[in-house]
Amino acid sequence: MSIVDELRALQAEAVAALGSVSDLGTLEDVRIAFLGKKGSLTAVLRGLGSLPPEERPAVGKVSNEVRVALEEAIESRRGELAGAALADRFVAEAIDVTLPGRHRLPGKQHLISQTLDDIVQVFLGLGYKIGEGPEVELDYYNFTALNHPPEHPARAATDTFYVRDLSGDHAAVDGESDVLLRTHTSPVQVHVMERQQPPIYVLAPGRVYRRDVADPSHLPQFTQIEGLVVDEGITFGDLKGTLEHFVREIFGPKRRVRLRPHFFPFTEPSAEVDISCGMCGGSGCRSCSGEGWIEVLGSGMVDPNVFGYVGIDPERYSGFAFGVGAERVAALKYGIPDLRLFVDGDMRFLRQF
Amino acid sequence: MRVSLKWLKDLVDVDLSITDLCDRMDMTGTKVEAVHTLGAALDGVVVGLVLTREKHPDAEKLSYCSVDVGDGEPRNIVCGADNFSAGDKVPVALVGATLPNGLTIKRAKLRGLESQGMLCSATELGVGGDASGLLILSADAPVGESFSAYYGMSDTVLELEVTPNRPDCLSVVGVAREIGAITNKPVKEPRSKPTEADDATGDAVSVTIENPELCSRYTARIIRGVKIGPSPAWLAERVVASGARPINNVVDITNYVMFELGQPLHAFDLSTIAATDDKAAIIVRSAREGETLRTLDGQDRELTAETLVIADPSGPVALAGVMGGESTEVSETTVDILLESASFDRASVSRTSRRLGLISEASIRFERGVDPEIAVRAADRAAELLAEIAGGSVSKGIVDEYPVKARPRRITLRIGRMNDHLGISLVPREVMAILSGLGIYSELAGDDLAVTVPTFRPDIEREVDLHEEVVRVWGMERVPSTLPGGRERVGALTETQARRNRIGVALRAAGLNEHLALAFADPVDMERMSWSLGPDEVPVDLLNPMSGEQSQMRWTLSVGLLKAVSYNQRRGVADVHMYELGTVFWTSPGRKSPKERPMVAGVLAGSWNQAGWNETSVPLDFFDGKGVVETLLDEMDITRWRMRAAVLPWLQPGRAAEIIIGGDVAGWIGEVAPSVLDAYEVTGPVTLFELNVKMLIKASSSEVRYVELPRFPAATLDLALVVDEDVTAERVLDSIRSAGKPLLESVTLFDVYRDAKDAGVRRLPEGKCSLAFSLTYRAADRTLTDEEVKPAHERLVRKVCKAVGAEVRG
Repeated sequence: MSIVDELRALQAEAVAALGSVSDLGTLEDVRIAFLGKKGSLTAVLRGLGSLPPEERPAVGKVSNEVRVALEEAIESRRGELAGAALADRFVAEAIDVTLPGRHRLPGKQHLISQTLDDIVQVFLGLGYKIGEGPEVELDYYNFTALNHPPEHPARAATDTFYVRDLSGDHAAVDGESDVLLRTHTSPVQVHVMERQQPPIYVLAPGRVYRRDVADPSHLPQFTQIEGLVVDEGITFGDLKGTLEHFVREIFGPKRRVRLRPHFFPFTEPSAEVDISCGMCGGSGCRSCSGEGWIEVLGSGMVDPNVFGYVGIDPERYSGFAFGVGAERVAALKYGIPDLRLFVDGDMRFLRQF
Repeated sequence: MRVSLKWLKDLVDVDLSITDLCDRMDMTGTKVEAVHTLGAALDGVVVGLVLTREKHPDAEKLSYCSVDVGDGEPRNIVCGADNFSAGDKVPVALVGATLPNGLTIKRAKLRGLESQGMLCSATELGVGGDASGLLILSADAPVGESFSAYYGMSDTVLELEVTPNRPDCLSVVGVAREIGAITNKPVKEPRSKPTEADDATGDAVSVTIENPELCSRYTARIIRGVKIGPSPAWLAERVVASGARPINNVVDITNYVMFELGQPLHAFDLSTIAATDDKAAIIVRSAREGETLRTLDGQDRELTAETLVIADPSGPVALAGVMGGESTEVSETTVDILLESASFDRASVSRTSRRLGLISEASIRFERGVDPEIAVRAADRAAELLAEIAGGSVSKGIVDEYPVKARPRRITLRIGRMNDHLGISLVPREVMAILSGLGIYSELAGDDLAVTVPTFRPDIEREVDLHEEVVRVWGMERVPSTLPGGRERVGALTETQARRNRIGVALRAAGLNEHLALAFADPVDMERMSWSLGPDEVPVDLLNPMSGEQSQMRWTLSVGLLKAVSYNQRRGVADVHMYELGTVFWTSPGRKSPKERPMVAGVLAGSWNQAGWNETSVPLDFFDGKGVVETLLDEMDITRWRMRAAVLPWLQPGRAAEIIIGGDVAGWIGEVAPSVLDAYEVTGPVTLFELNVKMLIKASSSEVRYVELPRFPAATLDLALVVDEDVTAERVLDSIRSAGKPLLESVTLFDVYRDAKDAGVRRLPEGKCSLAFSLTYRAADRTLTDEEVKPAHERLVRKVCKAVGAEVRG
C-alpha cells in the first residue's frame, strides 16, 4: 500500500471514529489518536523521510490535506457536541419562572410623610423654602400675634392643650399657662416674619394638636402644612392661582377648585378652598354630603394686624397664607375611612402605600 | 343660625331657587350647612286636647292621658313628657302616622297600658330643635285639625354657618340684608311705633350703669296688664323655625324680636324688682364676691367681681347678657313687665358665659357684638307685639341710658390700593354699588372713596375689611388667577433639611417602615421603661390632657414603637420593622417653654421575612438592629463612630450599647429587657435603637471625595486568633488596623468560635474564643511580592498578639 493510500485510509478511519464519538472527552481521545504526537497520522508522516525526494512533495501535499481535513472534522464535531451539551444543560437547569422571587423589601415611607413630600415638592418648584417652628408654643405666637382677641374661643382649655409652665410666671391669658401645644402651623408665620424681612416664600409642615377625641374623622394630633408669602405686590389673585396650582398638582388636573369667603382672625380677606368631589365629580354624593365640593384648606391675605406684630410695613408689602391638613389630603386622595389608621402603626397599613 | 325662608321673604324679595340661593350664599361667605323642609309628610298628626293626665301606675316617669282628637273617640295615650297638663293642646300622632324621623306610630303596650298614638315634641315633628318636652299649642288651636295645616307648615329653614365676624347675620334682618346685597334686591326692614299710654316709664323705673365700659347702653320699657298665655300659631311657628321652644306669649315675643333684629331682650316681672323712691331700680354693676344668683334654669350661680350683673337694690337679678334670674322671671301671674334692651361688652359676656358653662341665644349674640343703635328699635318692636298679642299697655317713653354712644366708622378706601391688593380692576362706581347694597354709604373723594360704615357692621374697621366686602360680593370666582411674580427666589432645602431626609431614606433602604405615633406619653411609661431623664430634667405635663394615659409629652420615641409592636403582635403580625422620626420633649424647673429634640428610633421584632420556598425565616436580633444603624451611619457618611457596651435599664444587660459619634453619646441600641417587654405585652426578642437627629446631621460629612480605585492586585491572608472572652472584637480590629499600616488595606472578621458550654471535646482553653480574620494587603503603586507581604504579616501578628494577649490558633 502506497503511503498516499495509507493516508487516505487513515482519513476514512478517523472520520468513521468521529462519527461514533458522543462526548467531548472521547473526541479529544480521537484527536490524540490521529493527530497527537504519537498519533497515527504523525506516525505516517514520520515515515516521510524515507521516501525518495521526488515523491516527497506530492505525498506532503496529500498528508497536509488529510491533516487539515481531520482538524476541521474534529472542530466541527466539537461544535456539534458542545451545542448538544449546552442544550442538555439548559434542559437540566430550567426553572419554573412563576415561583416567587427572593427579596429583602425596602421599608415604606408613612403616607403622611409622602403627602408632605409631595406638597413640599410642589412648592419647592414655586420657589419656596421650608420653615420650621416649635411644637410647644407660647400663646403669643399661636394666638395673639395672629390677631386672635383675648376672648377668642380657640384659646379655651376645651380646645387647646396647655402645658405646665415651670417658670413661675402666671399667665394673663385664660387659665394657668400661656404655654401650649400649637393648634396650627401658623405660628411659624410669625417666627419667620420676626427673623426675616420680605421677600418671604416659605412652606412650614409640622405636627399640631387639638383637644379632639380620636374618632374616624378626628385626631388629637395631626399634620399641617402652612404656606406664607410676603412680598411687594402680592395679590389675592396670586393666592388663588397658587392654590389652584397646588390642588391640581396634588389631586390631578381634573379637579375644580373654588375659593369661598370665610373668616380667620389672621387673614383678610379670607377664603376656604373647596375641591370638586373625586367620587361624584361634583354632582353630589354621599362622600361630599351631596354638595359636590369638599373643603380642603383655609387661606387668605395676611391681615395688616399680623404685619403690625412683626414689624412689616403693610403699605409696602402684602402677602398671603394658607394652611392644609395632610391627613385630610391623604384621606381624600387614598380613600382612608378612619384617621386613626395613621397613628396605629399597623404594619399592614404602613406597607400599603 | 336657623332662618325661616318665609320670614326672609317678608323682608326681601327672593326670586332664586333654593339651590341657587344657597350657592350664592356659600360663595359670598355665609355657608348654608343644611336646608330643612318643615311640615313635610306629617299626615296623621292632628291637634289634640289633653282631657285628663294621670300618673302611669307602673312607671314613675310616664303619664297616662286621655286626648280628644276631634272625632268623638278620645285616645288613651302613654306619654313620657312632663311639660303639659290637662287642658293643653298638643300635636298628636295617630296610629299609622309616620314622623319625619321615620318612626311609624303603632298601637303599643307601654308598661301594661295600651297607647293609641303619641304626643309629640317639636323635634319629633321636625319643626324645631327642642326635644325637652311636648310642643304646646295655642289655646285657640282647632282640635282635630291637621297639624301641618294649622301650623302653617310649608316653610323651609336654612341652617347657616355664621362666621364670628358677622354678628349682624345672627338675625333675620341681617340675613335679609345680606341676601339683598348679593342678589341686588331692596330690603324692607320692620319698623314699629307702639301706641303708648299716658303713664310715663320714667316715673316707674330708673336705670343706673356703674360700669359704662361693660354696658354701653341700657334701655327699659314698661308694658302693663299683659295676659300670659300661649302664643298664636304664626308666632310659635317662627320661634320654632328659629330653633327655640315656644314658652308663653311674652317670652316668645322677646325671642321673636331677638331672632328678627339680633337684639337679645329680657322681660322682668316688674313687681319683683325692688324699688328706690317708688321706682323699680335697675343697677348694672359688677357682682360682689360671694353674691349668688339662681338663674332661670334653676341653677345657683356663684358670682365673682368679674361678672357683670343686672341688680336691684336687693341684689343681682340677672347675669348681664347671659341669662335672667329665677326670682324676677315672668310667670303665669305676671301682670306688668319691665323690658330690657341693652348692649353689653363682648369680652365680659364671653368670660361669664365660659366661666359658668352657660351658653344662651343671648350670650352667643352679645359675645359677637350687638349693635347698640338697635336697642330702642327692638324695645319698640317688642312693646308693640306685647300690646297686640298679650293685651298690654305700653307706658309712655323709654328710659335710655346710653353713656358710650356708638358712631358709624369712617374709612378712606383707596380704589387703586384695593385693586392692587385683590388683583382686580374695579372702577369707583362698581365699588360704591357693592357697598351700598350692604348698607354701607360711600362717596367719591378724589380717587378715593369716603366710606361710612353702619354700626351694625362692627367687623369693618379698616380699609382691608372693605376689600373683603368688595371681593366676596363681586365674586372671588371672578378674580383672575395669577402666580406671584417676585424675583430672586430659589426653592431649595437647606443642607440640614436635606440631610434629615437622608435618615428616612437610609432606614427605609435598610428595611424599616415609617411610623407616626401620637406624641403623648403616660406618666407610668417612665416606670415601665425603668427610664430616667437627666439631672434637673422633668417630663412636660399637659394641664388638660384628654386622658391620664396621654397626660405628658413623650420623652422617647421608643414607647410609641413598642406599643406599635404590641398592636401588631395582637393582630397576628409578628414581623415588625419600623422607625419614627419625631420630636421628644422635656423641661426643667424654672423653664417656661420645654425643650424639643428631634430623634430617630427604630424597632425590629420577628424576622425580615416569613420562610419561603427558597429562603428561611431568621429571627431578628441585636445584630440586625446594629446592621440597620450601620447602614444609616454609612448613608449619612458618618465615619467616626463606635458602639460601646452599656448598662441601660430598659435593655437586656449584656445586649445593650451606646452609640458614640465623634466622642459623644448620640444614642443607644439593644434588645429590650424582659420586664419592659412584659409591661407592654410584647413578645421578644425586640431590638430597639434611638439616636439624636441633630448629632447625626452634624456628624454627617458634607464632603465626600473620590478615592482612587486599586490598580495592582491584592494579597489576602487569613489569621485566626485565640483571645480572652473579654477582649472585644473592636479592640482586636483596632489593633490589627494599627499594626497593619501601611500595607494592610482592609480586614474582615469572618468567624467567631467559642466552645459550646456542654461540648465534649474542647477545642479552646477555658475562657477563650477564637476570632478569624481575612486580611487584604495592597500597595497603590506596585504588585506586592510574597517577600514583602510575609514579613509585614508576621510583624502584624506579633504586634497584635502582644497588644491583645492573643495566640495564633494552630
